[in-house]
Amino acid sequence: MVTEDTLRAMLREFGGVEPTDEEMERVLASVRNYQRRAEPLGELDLATVHSGRLLHAQEGGPQP
Amino acid sequence: MTDLLTLSIADLAAKIRGREVSPVEVTRAALDRAERLQSLGTFIRLMPEAALEQARSREEAIGRGDYRGPLDGVPVGIKDNIAIAGVPCTAGSLVYADYVPTEDAFAVQQYRNAGAVILGKENMHELAAGGTSDNPHFGTVRNPWNTDHIPAGSSGGGAANVAAGITFASLGTDIGGSVRTPAAYCGIVGVKATFGRVSQRGLVATTFHGDHIGPMARSVADAALALQALAGHDPLDPASIPMPVPDFSADLGRGLEGLTVGVPTDFYFDGVASEVVASTHAAIAQLAEMGANVREVPLPTLRYYESLQLDSMAEAFVLHEELLKTRRDLYTPELAHRYLAGQFVRAVDHVKSLRAQRLAKEDFARAFHQVDVIAAPTTLLAAPRIDARSVTVEGVEHEISASGTMVLYRNAFPANFTGLPALSVPCGIAGNGIPLGLQLMARPFEETLLLRVAAAYEDVSPAARRLPPLATEG
Repeated sequence: MVTEDTLRAMLREFGGVEPTDEEMERVLASVRNYQRRAEPLGELDLATVHSGRLLHAQEGGPQP
Repeated sequence: MTDLLTLSIADLAAKIRGREVSPVEVTRAALDRAERLQSLGTFIRLMPEAALEQARSREEAIGRGDYRGPLDGVPVGIKDNIAIAGVPCTAGSLVYADYVPTEDAFAVQQYRNAGAVILGKENMHELAAGGTSDNPHFGTVRNPWNTDHIPAGSSGGGAANVAAGITFASLGTDIGGSVRTPAAYCGIVGVKATFGRVSQRGLVATTFHGDHIGPMARSVADAALALQALAGHDPLDPASIPMPVPDFSADLGRGLEGLTVGVPTDFYFDGVASEVVASTHAAIAQLAEMGANVREVPLPTLRYYESLQLDSMAEAFVLHEELLKTRRDLYTPELAHRYLAGQFVRAVDHVKSLRAQRLAKEDFARAFHQVDVIAAPTTLLAAPRIDARSVTVEGVEHEISASGTMVLYRNAFPANFTGLPALSVPCGIAGNGIPLGLQLMARPFEETLLLRVAAAYEDVSPAARRLPPLATEG
């Protein structure tokens, strides 16, 4: 899980809008929530997903 | 006078056209009711003088033979994130408290062209960023069916106005169910047309690709007329699509013979309250009884629903970045924290979320190869109380306003990122006495078909065309 120090370092290195110390606790919770929600994306094969790929009504080939 | 305000748009239009009822008369009645029901908190700004001036102008024009159609002289409401020239447009937030647009949104222009009389700017969830419409700056919107409960959101003021018989139609915006969910909880019909069917120009938007302006009304037929006035290509909105606009009312009454209704096997019924599931299945059974074929359709990618919405985080941060630097005091802390977190979303996660959305779009494309419409619950649960901070649905506790929570709009948001047309039509009354909605979705630009199915169901729905008691009192 990401830490407050990491978020502070990101802001230092990349810029951004600095949360106050009071805000940081809630922002950190939101970022961790995002990380939890992003994790399942690893289960999907997204490398082959592009707008031009051939889509079939059912996997396995075109339908009549 | 009460009867006048609860007429259908078509019936009122016939009376206005026949000069049996004047636009001024119905506008005065609507304004009186709005004053009397102020405790519902539905308006951020009621505009009685402008409304009466507009009504007088339409009355005079109709007298000259300049009748513009079913919305002519009909009182409507506009959500306060849609621009009206010269009128503050707050989006329910202090951030935009000083924003006074210099021109109308395209949708407002369309309504004006149709002769609709604008009663005012309607209350909403702050920045359209939630589903309660409990607004810390402009007051709490209350559900007309039970004023201790939320009307949902973010277009809560408009939905409550329609249900209470104040407006005949209200313009809402739907970024994640913000038209359909309040329509469900207020017992009315809410339509989100295909992305690009209705111009967004003049909307205080939240994303590039998910915001939709859509109408709410008391029946499917009214909603079809309200959408008719809105739809059309706007060359100044790059997202507007130059598709011909069909007659959305053309197939109302055609029935369901030959149509196939899809019932999702994934996502839409998962973790949904049993009374909502029962109500939805009863509605689907009625569709079958009326002649529709029913078949199951898989939508497997929606199992990743929490990952499919990550793209909105960085978008929200970019939208608010400058004001978060300079005027953070204008944001409620809850929203400030949520928006600040958006700057830490990794670009790769953002792109993966978009690609996963594409997979879900492919699922829908396959499903619509086999079925004409998809039916599902609009909401996961019955309308919570306004003072509830969390809800327990089928044994799982959900916070209502926490970062990332989707309990109030989870079932609605797939139609936003897919852009598919979707609506909610009343389908039952929950144990708390508040209506529930059946959500119907269709292929892109098939709003006429969607409205046809909804109209057929509305005829047998146990909850359709019902009014809360306060809509018929006094």
